[in-house]
Amino acid sequence: MAITTRPATDVELLRRPNIPSANVRLPAVKDYEQVDDEIIGTLHPTAQWFIGLGVAILFLLIGASAWTYQIYSGLGVAGYNPPVMWGVYIITFVFWVGIGHAGTLISAILYLFRAGFRTTIYRCAEAMTVFAVMTAGLFPILHLGRPWKFFWLIPYPNWRYIWPQMKSPLVWDVFAILTYLTVSATFLYIGLVPDIAVLRDRETNPIRKRLFAQLALGWRNTDREWRHFVRAYLFLAAFSTPLVLSVHSVVSFDFAMSDVPGWHTTVFPPYFVAGAIYSGIGMVFTIIIPLRKWFNLKHYVTINDLDAAAKLALFTSLVVGVAYMMEWFVAWYSGSPAEKQFFANRLWGQWWWASALLYTCNMVLPLSLFSQYCRRNTTWLWILSIFINIGMWFERFVIVVPSLSHEYEPWQWAGYRPTWVDYAILCGSFGWFAMWFLLFIKQFPSIAITEIKEIVKPRLKHRHAMGVDSTGLPLPFMPDTPGEFD
Amino acid sequence: MSTETESTGIKRRDFLKVVGGGAAVAASIGCSSDRVEKLIPYLVSPDNTVPGVSTYYATTCRGCAASCGVIAETRDGRTTKLEGNPAHPLNRGALCATGQAELQALYNPDRYRSPMIRKNGKLVAAKWDEALQLFSQKLGQTRSRGANNAVFINQHESGSFPAFLDQWLSDYGMPPHISYDSGVDTAAIAAHTAAYGVAWPRFDFGATTLIISFGGDFLDGWGPSVPQQLDWADARAKLVGAPRLVYVGARRSLTGLNADSWLDCKPGTEVSIARALSGDMPVAQAAQASGVDAARLQSVVDEYRAAKPGLVIAGGHVANSTDLFTVVAALNHSNGAVGTSIRPDQAILGYEGIAPAAELRALVDRMNAGSVSLIMVRGANPAYNMPRSTGFAQAMAKVPFKVSFASIMNDTSEMCDLILPDHHSLEQWGDAEPVRGTLSLQQPAMDPVFDSLATSDVLIKVAKGDPANAAKYALPDYRTWLIARIPGGDEGMATALPKGIVAGSSLARTARPASSAFAAAPDIASTSGDLFLFVYHHPVLGDGRGANKPWLQELPDPVTKLTWQTVVEMHPLTAAKMGLDNSDLVTVTTSAGKLTAPVYLYLGIRQDTVAVATGRGHVNAGRYAKAGENAYDLLPLAGNSAGGIAMVSTKASVTKAGGSMLLATTEGSARQHLRDIARAIPIGELGLAGEPKHAEPQEEHLPGDASHEFLPGLRSPVANDAQGDFGDPASKDKGMYDPNHWSHMAQRRWAMTIDLARCTGCAACVTACYAENNIPTVGAEWQGPQIMPDRTGFGANITRSREMAWIRLERYYEGGEDGSADFETRFIPMMCQHCGNAPCEPVCPVYATYHAPDGLNVQVYNRCVGTRYCSNNCPYKVRYFNWFGYGEPHRSQYAFPEPLNWQLNPDVTVRGKGVMEKCSMCVQRIRGAEHRAKLENRPLRPDEFTTACAEACPSRAITFGDAADESWSVTRLIKDERAYHVFEELNTFTAVVYLKKVNHPAPATAPAHA
Repeated sequence: MAITTRPATDVELLRRPNIPSANVRLPAVKDYEQVDDEIIGTLHPTAQWFIGLGVAILFLLIGASAWTYQIYSGLGVAGYNPPVMWGVYIITFVFWVGIGHAGTLISAILYLFRAGFRTTIYRCAEAMTVFAVMTAGLFPILHLGRPWKFFWLIPYPNWRYIWPQMKSPLVWDVFAILTYLTVSATFLYIGLVPDIAVLRDRETNPIRKRLFAQLALGWRNTDREWRHFVRAYLFLAAFSTPLVLSVHSVVSFDFAMSDVPGWHTTVFPPYFVAGAIYSGIGMVFTIIIPLRKWFNLKHYVTINDLDAAAKLALFTSLVVGVAYMMEWFVAWYSGSPAEKQFFANRLWGQWWWASALLYTCNMVLPLSLFSQYCRRNTTWLWILSIFINIGMWFERFVIVVPSLSHEYEPWQWAGYRPTWVDYAILCGSFGWFAMWFLLFIKQFPSIAITEIKEIVKPRLKHRHAMGVDSTGLPLPFMPDTPGEFD
Repeated sequence: MSTETESTGIKRRDFLKVVGGGAAVAASIGCSSDRVEKLIPYLVSPDNTVPGVSTYYATTCRGCAASCGVIAETRDGRTTKLEGNPAHPLNRGALCATGQAELQALYNPDRYRSPMIRKNGKLVAAKWDEALQLFSQKLGQTRSRGANNAVFINQHESGSFPAFLDQWLSDYGMPPHISYDSGVDTAAIAAHTAAYGVAWPRFDFGATTLIISFGGDFLDGWGPSVPQQLDWADARAKLVGAPRLVYVGARRSLTGLNADSWLDCKPGTEVSIARALSGDMPVAQAAQASGVDAARLQSVVDEYRAAKPGLVIAGGHVANSTDLFTVVAALNHSNGAVGTSIRPDQAILGYEGIAPAAELRALVDRMNAGSVSLIMVRGANPAYNMPRSTGFAQAMAKVPFKVSFASIMNDTSEMCDLILPDHHSLEQWGDAEPVRGTLSLQQPAMDPVFDSLATSDVLIKVAKGDPANAAKYALPDYRTWLIARIPGGDEGMATALPKGIVAGSSLARTARPASSAFAAAPDIASTSGDLFLFVYHHPVLGDGRGANKPWLQELPDPVTKLTWQTVVEMHPLTAAKMGLDNSDLVTVTTSAGKLTAPVYLYLGIRQDTVAVATGRGHVNAGRYAKAGENAYDLLPLAGNSAGGIAMVSTKASVTKAGGSMLLATTEGSARQHLRDIARAIPIGELGLAGEPKHAEPQEEHLPGDASHEFLPGLRSPVANDAQGDFGDPASKDKGMYDPNHWSHMAQRRWAMTIDLARCTGCAACVTACYAENNIPTVGAEWQGPQIMPDRTGFGANITRSREMAWIRLERYYEGGEDGSADFETRFIPMMCQHCGNAPCEPVCPVYATYHAPDGLNVQVYNRCVGTRYCSNNCPYKVRYFNWFGYGEPHRSQYAFPEPLNWQLNPDVTVRGKGVMEKCSMCVQRIRGAEHRAKLENRPLRPDEFTTACAEACPSRAITFGDAADESWSVTRLIKDERAYHVFEELNTFTAVVYLKKVNHPAPATAPAHA
């Protein structure tokens, strides 16, 4: 068989499944003006957006009312059924923390790896991270018996010299979540600065213009600013990268550090991180596929990008699949009756349906992504993403509830059934997340204008029309600007 | 300034009004909704009352006929706890759950707050003068129309009051009173009287090697529970040479579960097994008649023949019990039990003089005939516990005037026209004769809670106002009358009261003419229905007397573990045949009535039998008593020849009612699943293990360096580590965790042993713990979450496992997976194990749970934020969470409605909403004893005090003490060869050490003695 040596043509490159590389093509995007026009054009509020925001706020209010009721009445209105002392709230907490991880992975780790397909989706993913962490952060407070005392978990100087118990994974959680929220919010904001400057320049409303001017930190698009910006971005990416691994590892310690059969296992940190990334990519699909349609951005978020992200989802699903099997193996290998019986119960006990759902959603359905057709079919991807979300929620359900309900003491085995308060607060968390996200996408570009411009060919006739210096000479083209022209 | 205010248009006064109004609104909705209560110090303190220091009154428990001695702990004028009186001959310091719960009768929110008179069909509050005047008037009318038409029904009690009452009645020309107690086995009493000459002999279980019980549920409230349980536990604690117990009956009661073997005979065929024992009937024939496996019956018969002396006891729940008693009495006379293990000379006198139900049955006819013009009822509740088939309530309604002396509302008193509320027994004077020659004194432990009056004093007052009797009742009150009877009068009383007992005997009551017995019941096998119906007295609620006490409603039935609910017990195989499962509703129909209740699958019942417990389902007996269904409705009009109601006399048809009702049970899985929680050792293997390897004296342990070899986690390997700040083993600053710290706290290790060979699973410890530690009950209807349609009603919180019992009794079955009768039951009390290496401690983010230097695992309620991680991480699952504000009066979940809150132990916090709580090993008692010792400038004496559970335990299974000090008994018990820790493999180093249950297999199958 003859070996083809000629370089791939543009057409071939477009057809070929996108291999994670910097080589991303947006053939439908002609120039910078188009980028500015089309992306900033998405910021105009529409009726549908208002309806969506209204629904989100309604959900949020339902959740907030349920929480108010729960604070007043006591946690008993939720479906806790001792010994199942953790339930929907902790499940949802882990779920949202996990969602966040894909954003940081995409924006930070893939940035360091120069994975080009991230460019078009990272802004969404990163905003998703911040809002997911904001959502997740509510739940540990929400699930407290006395939520108004939550600050006791924070080491603050006090008169009684009482410090938190530093051995408790819950204290580690506080640090992990707060760190993660701070870093990811900073990262999101730093990446936004040049985009905000664009918004500022185009804004006509004086109040908004002023606001954008403040937020743009006086960005003037100079060589020096760009150099600093890129360094800062690189630094923050490097700074966020370990958090992708550490935060969810810490969350997994909530379980792994305990002695509960089904929790007490060393596989949890890598397993949780893989699951988090898996669930996060699922959520990215859930968000970005409708978004690219409604905002008419299909020529930015290309099928190639989705295809590449789908491969990542496939990979992480295989990792969690191995982790699931590892759990069974270790349970059998442990020789501990409690562990063995717990895993038997997980498969065939009262919650067999939850396990079956989880294994189907997280192990079986993603196998379809081996097919290129499926990877490039946005409808399937979106449906699959919903299954991924459900599957990952139930993964945490299966970890939390059946483990607690079948612990060491058979006399105390019990069931669990959430109440309307649990469900309302669960809905409220989606409302809260959606509200922030919807607000975000109409205030800030949901696709990074700056980074898109890096992969769009500039119109060369404008090459020197970038302005003049104080002497009146055209500014020179700066070759070290990211996204060097070809 | 004034110009400025004027310029803004707001006048100073207006401003103040607004501010004042706002402040008033803020004050009324903010801070506290409680009314302001003023603290007024005593100007002249009452005798013996030091604020904050308890006074102890020895008195007598009236919870059942036995009359145990109790010591009432009274703090600032309110009784907060009952303990057994160690000097009392009957209960010797122990107290059962029913006795503990007498406090909730004293402080029952449904007590009558004043006399009540029925006006226009409704009971309305009245003044005592008015009520007594009405009573005198009615007495006068009755006398003028022939006083023989008056009836007085008194809840049976021993002592002098019955004689006093009879005297009073005769002074008014009325017949002697009916001393009624539906909770006792009158058939057994008649049989005992016939065979041994006393109503209830003491059973000395230790004097025999084999006990065969035909439904004689001596641990379930059949007879005096506490002394019988003490004797039983002492007998079993002998281990080698301890008696074996064979239980014969259609349903395994608590006694049956404690038995080593069970012969599951058909109801009504007990007598054939007894005849097989006596040799009057061939074993094969008896086996065939009773449905018992012939080989098993044969081995019991062989064993019985070999056992000298054997002991056979029988209960009279079946209709043909008379035949059974005859055979049993002959057996006991022939096998040498009488005089050795049956001790008529140490008879329990509280059971003398109880009128059988037949008397009330005869009364029904008289009431229906209109020949009763006045009925007076005190304490008893025949409208509830006379089966509906007797028509008692309907007949009573026809009586023109009905007087009740009830203290708490009940189904009978609510039918009456005049209520003269009696004091509770803890508020009044009295006496009882528990054993021959000893009077147990009853004295008020506190002032009356409500505007009630002791019935004895009411009688005296009324007589004083009656010209015909005034002269005879010149004495000021009943107390004076009582003291006059005590040897030594006032002084004798004063010396006797602190002990609670005095030599003497009570006045004999007037004998009533023997009444007609019931018509002979038809043979149970010939009644119509599919399954035998086994109605039994609930071991805790009894005949319904306990029903309005939330402690007892919430206390899981020792056998079924159900709370707040009436269930139909059914064998799993029978249920499977009928397509039923736990919690499916079924309707049980007999000729007398029907009842719909959920199914509970119970291994300890015959496949052709269903069982229902009495005690619940009151119509009008207070807010808590409404729970459940009334099993008395099912009983047809059938009695035994002794005049008692036959509880087991008919078959019933059981049909699926459709739908289901969640079981308010505290049972998770009744199998141990290889976890080895409740361990047992066959008697033959005792001593084979050689010297226990943990018995070697240990070198002194510094906290933190204990080896894993020592048995019982006496020193935590991480005790000092538990305080993270002092975690460095090289640190010299171990604070109070240093054994040489001046407090010497770290030189102690509070620990506990629980002897499973003694424990019967009676659950008295649970109620004692509720009383001591202010544990809220959570199962009342209005405490439920009311958030899911299937979770409402009584027990709604329990169906979500939210019971708060700091100590619980787990009941595990061994064997019998195939549904056979050959299964063993192990009871194990489970509470916080106070681990030396506690999994709960490091996971609490706020140090709400931490390790005290003396080994306690401490829970700081004020610090708890409610993450509940501690509970997740607790392998023993002994942490309980306050899901609601059970201690907040304005909430529907409030567990202590006034005046139940008067009982709260002032030494213990009432926990708030959203915090975790658990067994503290009665830390308030530990600190109290330490402080007392400090004040008296002495060290703690060994076994000086104990926890509430250990103090109450009627089988003396629980021992508490300092395991680091050789002189405490707990240290000796920890070295027992049977000692083990639950989940030792988790390295928790628990402070609670269990001693294995000892099994006594049938001789044929027992391994040879080494």
